[in-house]
Amino acid sequence: MQFLSPGQIVVRSFVQLWPVWASLAVVFGLSVVYRRKLGLFGQVVESATGFAGLLLVLFWLFAAVFGRRIELFDPLSQIARMQNTAPGAIDPHSGLPYLFGGDKLARDVFGRVIAGARIVLIIAPLATMLALSVGISLGLPAGYFGRRVDAVLSFLANLVLAFPIILLFYLLVSPGILETPIPYTLAGVFFAVPIVLFGVLFVSGYRTQPTQLALRLALTLLVGAWLFATFVFNADPFGILKVSPSTLNIFIAVALASGPGIFRIVRSLTLDIKTREYVLAAQTRGESAWYIMLWEILPNARGPLIVDACLRIGYTTILLGALGYFGLGMPPESPDWGTMIKESSPFMRIFWHPALAPALAMMSFVLGLNLLADAIREQSLRD
Amino acid sequence: MAEPILDIENLGISFFTRAGEIPAVMDFSLKVMPGEAMGLVGESGCGKSTVALAVMRDLPGVGKITGGSIRFEGRDMAALSGPELRAIRGSKIAMVYQEPMASLNPTMLVGRQLMEVPLIHDKVSKEEARSRTLEMVKAVRLPDPERVMRAYPHQLSGGQQQRVVIAMALLSKPRLLILDEPTTALDVTVEAGVVALVKDLTARTGASSLFISHNLGLILETCDSVTVMYSGEAVETGGVRDVFGAVRHPYTQGLFRSMAMPGTNKNDNPLIPIPGQLPLPHERPNGCNFGPRCSHFVAGLCDRADVPMSGVEGHSGHRSRCLRIDAIDWAASARKGERLAPVGIGPRVLEVDRLKKHYRVAASAIFGGGGARTVKAVEDVSFAAREAEVLAIVGESGCGKSTLAKVLLGLELASEGLVVLGDEAIQNRPVEHRPVKTISSIQMIFQNPFDTLNPSYSVGSQIQRTLERFRIGKSAAERREIMLGLLDLVKLPRAFSWRRPRQLSGGQKQRIGVARAFAGRPRVIIADEPMSALDVSVQAAIGELLMNIQRESKTTMVFISHDLSVVRYLADRVVVMYLGHIVEMGSTEQIFSPPFHPYTEALLSAIPIADPSVRKRRVVLEGEIPSALTPPKGCPFQTRCGHKAEVAGNLCERELPPRRTVAEGHTILCHLPVEALQRMEPVFS
Repeated sequence: MQFLSPGQIVVRSFVQLWPVWASLAVVFGLSVVYRRKLGLFGQVVESATGFAGLLLVLFWLFAAVFGRRIELFDPLSQIARMQNTAPGAIDPHSGLPYLFGGDKLARDVFGRVIAGARIVLIIAPLATMLALSVGISLGLPAGYFGRRVDAVLSFLANLVLAFPIILLFYLLVSPGILETPIPYTLAGVFFAVPIVLFGVLFVSGYRTQPTQLALRLALTLLVGAWLFATFVFNADPFGILKVSPSTLNIFIAVALASGPGIFRIVRSLTLDIKTREYVLAAQTRGESAWYIMLWEILPNARGPLIVDACLRIGYTTILLGALGYFGLGMPPESPDWGTMIKESSPFMRIFWHPALAPALAMMSFVLGLNLLADAIREQSLRD
Repeated sequence: MAEPILDIENLGISFFTRAGEIPAVMDFSLKVMPGEAMGLVGESGCGKSTVALAVMRDLPGVGKITGGSIRFEGRDMAALSGPELRAIRGSKIAMVYQEPMASLNPTMLVGRQLMEVPLIHDKVSKEEARSRTLEMVKAVRLPDPERVMRAYPHQLSGGQQQRVVIAMALLSKPRLLILDEPTTALDVTVEAGVVALVKDLTARTGASSLFISHNLGLILETCDSVTVMYSGEAVETGGVRDVFGAVRHPYTQGLFRSMAMPGTNKNDNPLIPIPGQLPLPHERPNGCNFGPRCSHFVAGLCDRADVPMSGVEGHSGHRSRCLRIDAIDWAASARKGERLAPVGIGPRVLEVDRLKKHYRVAASAIFGGGGARTVKAVEDVSFAAREAEVLAIVGESGCGKSTLAKVLLGLELASEGLVVLGDEAIQNRPVEHRPVKTISSIQMIFQNPFDTLNPSYSVGSQIQRTLERFRIGKSAAERREIMLGLLDLVKLPRAFSWRRPRQLSGGQKQRIGVARAFAGRPRVIIADEPMSALDVSVQAAIGELLMNIQRESKTTMVFISHDLSVVRYLADRVVVMYLGHIVEMGSTEQIFSPPFHPYTEALLSAIPIADPSVRKRRVVLEGEIPSALTPPKGCPFQTRCGHKAEVAGNLCERELPPRRTVAEGHTILCHLPVEALQRMEPVFS
């Protein structure tokens, strides 16, 4: 069997990733040219931390977008003779190399890492958004109304936080629980939250403009119904996404793990912002409580929430990896990074390479998100 | 002649930011002699605090001294090493900042914080440090010094905290005391006490002081000389009486004209605001910085080159940065001479009768009951306001004026009593249950312009939202027109409707606040200290604007304030509140001349007045305002009243005084007999 030299591997990987480099060049070129007009984003690009963070995050974003174009082999197909081959091995049949080697089931690690980005970059942000909408819808009333509402909601949050999340996850996937309606009920509740949140947002904001309101409500319901059908019942009417029960469990786990943390942040931000005079001004002109929470308070809490969301997507990525490592997340053949590390771990001493690439991928993506969050926080505090 | 303690010569300071070099202070010179109190006056952004920080060599990272020198006791501060600087800071130069709570370490006992000063700087024993500290705590007239030493900062009131900070500053027997707006966060009567204390203590210890303030009246009362700053430069300097008696710079003159002085009022001689606004540091004009706003500006002369300071004839040490000192007729009156006819006061619009607002504070959330206490925020308040009338509610923090406003607006419900708006009783109707018409007919202007607008939306859309809410205008386009009309009304360019609040100055934001409040054509406007957070020259402009709109729309205005000079200028009638009670009520004339309630007398005496020709009788109140949780028995004011001894038989401590009518519409809540009240001398003469 022929092998590429290490230098050739680097050059070949670089060439193979050309759509990513091209897109990165376009994005950074434009943002440097127009940085003065881009406000906070322009400042983030200008700072070294922000640039590095954005580079890493966008790298993986574009890798996920152009995945099919980049990978040399299908991430699930096996070529028997390539089993556990070292990086750079060339498949004699097609003449194409396994750039990062082959795993124990003779699949291309390079292609699988790229395909894994697709999974991670869909699940991690979506699950974080779900947790964010849960945290916001409970945190706002807890902070704004205070007293009993706050006492009850904060108690619930503390209760969930006190429960070990890995244990919770084991419970969710155990057959005894899977047969009960509990996971689907939970998923139903969680996915209903963003729909209700947007509904309340538009009803409170556009009450005086019926046409605008109807338009927005219809859109909310349409998108909401699609997401609901896809995720909760795995019945995407357009057939774009397939959500297995185990993937659904990841969403539930993330919402339960991150929700209370976001709840606390939103609650404390609300407590602070509700003392501002513009909130008092809204009260004196008789605005409803939900209007004040969603239109007066929430927009001004966005800074810390964006920073937190960045960090949390990284955290979710790690959780995804950890769950995959325990064999709890995706199906075993799935190319997500956590599952890949787990699959190759038993043979780590003999074949180290199948675990290296996904581990580096996860690290760089999370590092990028953390750097980005840092940069946003720093830049928004300046001047 | 003695050596100056502090000698600043041609100082230049710049901030180096992303946008490049921004000069903050230019060509600034100042001398402070031993024992002298120097005042530094200017509006926000003029560089006065930057100078103070530069003296301490404590500029933030991006700030650099670009020229000139600062000499303290003959030594160049720039040449000092770290250890040498530390030996001077807090020891030979001490500083007192605006926020007392931020200057004290909240986790340390007051006594220990104070003892650190002699322990570190004088290296004395613990016992010695303790005795010195105790003596100083007594010197700043804190009640029960032993207890104060064992308290944490948050257990003291604002005034007491500031006294602790002053004690800390004076413990090391500094040669120079820098006070940066030391009383701005305090109530007027407390401020008067602190100012008197500083004056007394610096005189006794022989320390020089640099008193930074935006309040000209305070400077006149505390300082020997004054330096006025504008846009990073000193524009006028000299002895306090020289400068205040004979102003020789158009900016200083503008400041005086924009202040409400005794004798001014809204009808006879309206205030004259300084036109325009402070130039941004990187957009300063050529030549005189004040040129574009100056009414004496001469093109070709004032805008040619930097203007040097020049001496004023007849006064030693009085210098001004003006090229036309001799050409301007300084005595000429700027008053246009036009007198506005007083507005006819209409029928009753708002009536408050025997209003009470009590809050229950539970002692414990879990083991409730038992320990629940009551805060009597508003106790038995009755007054009426008529159409086109300006009714001022005066009082210090904790007097219940903000609670009263909340009850009127429906944000809180009354515990007892009546609030009648027009012919509708609204005391028990929270704002969410009020019809739109009622809501729009009673609106509010808020205190803090930096907080009154939502930073996330353009100012135009915020006014439009109010219109939408009040169902004014049929379509979005029509509402937009109305909104633009409101911008015209508050004299802002229409293009501002697209701006975000952060792109506006404080005064412009407050104008938007005014436009928003008047959007629903209210019958009653509640203005909660709408000018107190603004600079003097901007205050005048906002005050004028409010009065003009109010005059034309015949709106009733309930003007909440602690600043009696502003109240005297614009109110028709005044209500003085103390601890939830109305202690005196009457027309503005009646309130500002005897007979007084003893509290009104003290309040009047506490106003700093920037006019050397006005003589003031000093009435300094001892102690602090009691908490509304534990109000004193009997008369609410008896703990601080100077006239208590004149009432026989401890009546003040036992019974709530009767409401005495001393003249038509003038009532006073006091045990003193009417004759005794009549005998009171006027505060101003």
